[in-house]
Amino acid sequence: MLLEVQNVHAGYGAGPSILQGLSMAVEKGQSYCIIGPNGAGKSTLLKVICGLLHPRQGQVLFKGNPIHTLRTDQILMQGISFVPQDRSLFPDMTVRENLRMGGYILKDRKEVERRIDAVYELFPLLKERGNQLAKTLSGGQQQMLAIGRSMVLRPEIIMLDEPSLGLAPKIARQIFDSIQFLKQGGMTVLLVEQNARLGLKSADWGFVLDLGKMSFDGPADSILADERIQELYLGRQKPPRGGETA
Amino acid sequence: MSAAANAKTELQSPGLPGSASKPARKWFLAALLIALLLFPLTNLVSGSMNYVLFMMLYIFMYIAMASSWNIIGGYTGYTSLGHNVFFAIGAYFSGVMLVYFKISPYLTAPLAGLLAMGVGLLVGVISLRTRGPAFIISTVAMILLVKITFDNWDYIGGSNGLSLPIPDLDVTISKFPPYYAMLLLAVGAVYLSYRIRHSKFGLGLRAISQDETKAEVAGINTNYYKILAFAISALFVGMAGSIWGYYLTYLRPNIFLTVLMAAQLVLMTLLGGKGTVAGPVVGAVVFILANEFFVSQLGFTELNIVATGVLMIVVLLFFPEGIVGTLKERGKLPQFLDWE
Repeated sequence: MLLEVQNVHAGYGAGPSILQGLSMAVEKGQSYCIIGPNGAGKSTLLKVICGLLHPRQGQVLFKGNPIHTLRTDQILMQGISFVPQDRSLFPDMTVRENLRMGGYILKDRKEVERRIDAVYELFPLLKERGNQLAKTLSGGQQQMLAIGRSMVLRPEIIMLDEPSLGLAPKIARQIFDSIQFLKQGGMTVLLVEQNARLGLKSADWGFVLDLGKMSFDGPADSILADERIQELYLGRQKPPRGGETA
Repeated sequence: MSAAANAKTELQSPGLPGSASKPARKWFLAALLIALLLFPLTNLVSGSMNYVLFMMLYIFMYIAMASSWNIIGGYTGYTSLGHNVFFAIGAYFSGVMLVYFKISPYLTAPLAGLLAMGVGLLVGVISLRTRGPAFIISTVAMILLVKITFDNWDYIGGSNGLSLPIPDLDVTISKFPPYYAMLLLAVGAVYLSYRIRHSKFGLGLRAISQDETKAEVAGINTNYYKILAFAISALFVGMAGSIWGYYLTYLRPNIFLTVLMAAQLVLMTLLGGKGTVAGPVVGAVVFILANEFFVSQLGFTELNIVATGVLMIVVLLFFPEGIVGTLKERGKLPQFLDWE
């Protein structure tokens, strides 16, 4: 098992626990989509895994070693990278500088430049815009940059929080296509997605979260087909062909 | 911004600033430096350049200090209103070394800088736990604390101050040593600022200024970086203090420990362009010359301060990112001023 979350309780400040005894397991080379209603703790779960939030109880194991007490940069170094909801770009830095930020913890500056070139090969558009400030990119381009940035570290697990947020459906599909790229490259992908249908379609396995617990998990296509889950989380109506409304 | 020109440099040398591809800048800076090095010699001919020499060394001093301040205030985004503490520490350290141990401030200035840096480290560890307005207040508090301490410290003269022996030099050349010393500091501080701007460390500082949480997620130990940036920004300010103290030959907490002085560093940097290499230089030159002009026209009537204030407002109205910052953003920055 690449990543294991065991009975985790977590919350913010003195507030109530958002995650209440959540457990999950992630295998290498698979892609996972976490769905669930607002407030279920999806984003919180990702924050706990990447060390932005420490669990009150329970543990997170990466390759069998506990990582839930480590700092974010240490976890990053171990090979788990996170693309937050707001994409976490540096708006007043150029595309290239943003990519450099992605490889910040690497000591070898030349190696970082080489890896940036590799990202450019995958996303030629980023190369074209290399000297443009990130804030001048469109939403889809920014998401592309955010993904490219997390790839500079060549992580084993890449976690994406709502990659389709604020994107036009067509652009969102492009982003999900590029997420497929990552998986083909051997990365393990863990994503949280409000747009549950789109998310599940691009994933191998689905997790359904509710009230801070894992309420259901299974192969993504079986979750998509499950009527009970459709009713609870996906909206009852059959999706129109190619439609993305959740 | 001149995207095409940037793209060119970027392709030629990925990751490194393309200094070789900007000949205009290179020649301009070389010519300027030679002119500045030779300029004092005019005093040997005419003997009436002392006022100009004074103005220039005064500008050099502020260039050194504003460029240093820019490292914490511009790149890192932490506005310090207490940098004259380092100035005072430098001045007093070298003053004490001169009065009690007869060692020239020109020799102890580097040590004074290192001492200021050490104090910067200590203060930084405490005050950089805060952010935003709280940090600004904590740096002002630093001035008050040091002033009370110096006012009551008899060994360094207390509130009466410390008189230093007057250098025994002929009047035609008396301004040469401080002139060259300040020039050296200005060049050193700008060079340091340039190197930091293009280093990985500098990239990290700029990340902190844009979003500290994101910077942390990217793997930057933000606390360590901020404290280091704060300490480095004290280095040249401390050295400038030790030269300036010797130039004044009189040290008094009242002179060195006022918020106004630190505020001037902030204003100059904003005027020229926060977070740019050339900004603090342009800002210091424009600010001091304008202020001097207003003093000459209006006298020390406080009207001169009003006039400088109006100038600040007008410039920032049309150049919201400072002179250099805004010109660069609009792609209108002359190449000789593009030191990025």
